Amino acid sequence: MGSFSLNYLLRRLLVFFLTVWVAATLIFIIPRLAPGDPIQAMIARMTQFEGYVENADLIIEAWRKRFGLDDPLYVQYFRFIGNTLRLDLGYSMANFPATVYELVGRALPWTIGLVGIATFIFFTVGNLCGALLAWYRTPKWLKVLIPMSMTFTSVPPALFSLLLVYIFGFLIRVNNNPLFPQVGAYARGMAPEFTLEFFGSVLYHGFLPAMSIVLVTFGFWALGMRGMMVTIEGEDYMILAQAKGLKPFYVLYRYMIRNAILPQMTALAVSIGTLINGSVLVEIMFVYNGMGSLIYSGIANQDFGLIQGTSFILIVTSALAVLIIDLTYPLIDPRISLEGR
Amino acid sequence: MEERKRHDSDRVVLKVENLRIHYATPQGDVIAVSDISFNLYEGETLGLVGESGCGKSTTAYGILQLVQPPGYIVHGSIEVDGTEVLNLEEEALRKFRWTGLSLIPQGAMNSLNPTMRVKDQIIDVIESHEGKQNDKEALRERIFELFQNVGLPNRIYNMYPHELSGGMKQRVCIAMGVALHPTVVIADEATSALDVVVQRIVAQTLVKVKDEIGVSLIVIGHDMGLLAQIVDRIAVMYAGKMVEIAPVENVYANPLHPYTQLLIDSIPSIKERKPLKITEGITHDPRNPPSGCIFRLRCPFAWEHCAEFEPPPITVEDKHEVACHLFDQQFEERRTNALATLANP
Repeated sequence: MGSFSLNYLLRRLLVFFLTVWVAATLIFIIPRLAPGDPIQAMIARMTQFEGYVENADLIIEAWRKRFGLDDPLYVQYFRFIGNTLRLDLGYSMANFPATVYELVGRALPWTIGLVGIATFIFFTVGNLCGALLAWYRTPKWLKVLIPMSMTFTSVPPALFSLLLVYIFGFLIRVNNNPLFPQVGAYARGMAPEFTLEFFGSVLYHGFLPAMSIVLVTFGFWALGMRGMMVTIEGEDYMILAQAKGLKPFYVLYRYMIRNAILPQMTALAVSIGTLINGSVLVEIMFVYNGMGSLIYSGIANQDFGLIQGTSFILIVTSALAVLIIDLTYPLIDPRISLEGR
Repeated sequence: MEERKRHDSDRVVLKVENLRIHYATPQGDVIAVSDISFNLYEGETLGLVGESGCGKSTTAYGILQLVQPPGYIVHGSIEVDGTEVLNLEEEALRKFRWTGLSLIPQGAMNSLNPTMRVKDQIIDVIESHEGKQNDKEALRERIFELFQNVGLPNRIYNMYPHELSGGMKQRVCIAMGVALHPTVVIADEATSALDVVVQRIVAQTLVKVKDEIGVSLIVIGHDMGLLAQIVDRIAVMYAGKMVEIAPVENVYANPLHPYTQLLIDSIPSIKERKPLKITEGITHDPRNPPSGCIFRLRCPFAWEHCAEFEPPPITVEDKHEVACHLFDQQFEERRTNALATLANP
């Protein structure tokens, strides 16, 4: 393992902040390209519910002033960047006076739990299956996983959610109750607390949403791993490992999986952002109050503050994941050294 | 170079008989190794030479039971110290590997696992055959001793393969190959990827270690000049057949088989610039070899008899066999003429 170079670390951090800045600018510009603004959208919603809103123009004007939407764009931009630098993500315009932080703080743990558990399952199971699919001692019947995972990979996760809801919610019933709950992150009437019962309820409720993510992503990892394993099988050191008379399982994990997993780790870090975005529809399908549902409501309400805030959190998470994998790569691949970069 | 020690033992450690290896292709089987037989004697170094694609590496991998699909062994017998390798069950074969037969691959290439330290790749072979080693200090000493045998510094103990030079990696492969004192070591083009100076040093190391440990060695290569200095006998292969096997002095001073003669003639010389007499490539389809002698299409001395009968190996003297009709007693006249042509072209 190579030792650490301060110069490399500094440059890598600079790239990190540059990425976040460019992305933050994009998320500032893009919502503003659409016609209308959050205040108009809110009034329109209120009109829908109440039929008529008194002094609508005055409300709009007052709120626009309150959120600074009348200022020139560049002023808004610098205010946004300044606030972001102070880690102040502002208010949610649609849920005023709730701050974006409050909303994200409520939603993030659920998504971390859901996506985290799903990631853990599909990454281990996917890579293990992929490795076994390429191994000569694996029984032939396991090969059915290849066309199966190819099919699953091409189905959108939300469609899988529907299928799972149908199978476990309606088709399979125990004492006329669904096998797995299809709504919410924990049982109705329970309050979030650190008890075993609550934790069990969370796992029970998270099963179907997690499964829909696992089923669609697992194939991608299995096929990728299988491809890497087949490449490794052709390496010269594999012939030597065979000639050395090493035990087959040892060769599998120390010579094959150990080398094949390296690109998979990078791919995982890069795909963290995509994963959370991919869970949006799944969360909505299962009325799961995580980041996905929050992003969705932000877009639906043209809630600039919320869109910027949630996107910003996602960007920082992805960039951070890539940064961490970059800095720790020498630990998993001895050929990579941070020295003198 | 110092005087080479002679190895005159008559005890056979490796006996290959009628070994035939095919590669399955959609257009039919390619005959890579065609019914070859030879003996390797105790302490002997045998060189296996021939052009690319003649089946010398396939023969080695066949002996090691490492023929990769679509290759497969059709029939034959490989006996190491009385053990028939082809009859070994999977687990027995695993245990036999490296203790009976070991391989020194082209280590400068990709033969070492890039994510494992050098020491771990030597330890794993020791532990898979001798069980977990609890005395770590003794294990370290043992590896240092192997390093010393092949001229490696102890500091590479904790290094990764990418931190070593090509010559060092090759030495690691040699140290690994002899770690369990196997009966037979097969070095497959072990020096081909190195530059001439390192090549020479590594080749000498190979022979030195082999003599110290007392194993028998098969060296596969195409550098006739280098082989001449390190081997006791040379086996010449052509298109999957072994055409001549002879003590090294005989091969260079008095090559018998027409192919060996052409091969020796093709060794570059600094005294004269000579045209290449042998044309590149096998001229027949390896799926459908010609009748009779395999070399007759390129042989300057071939006659009708060669197309009809396959030449059997003829023992011309002790440990020297040649598969050519010219050396059949009944064609003595032809042989005299042929040799005369060769002397005055």
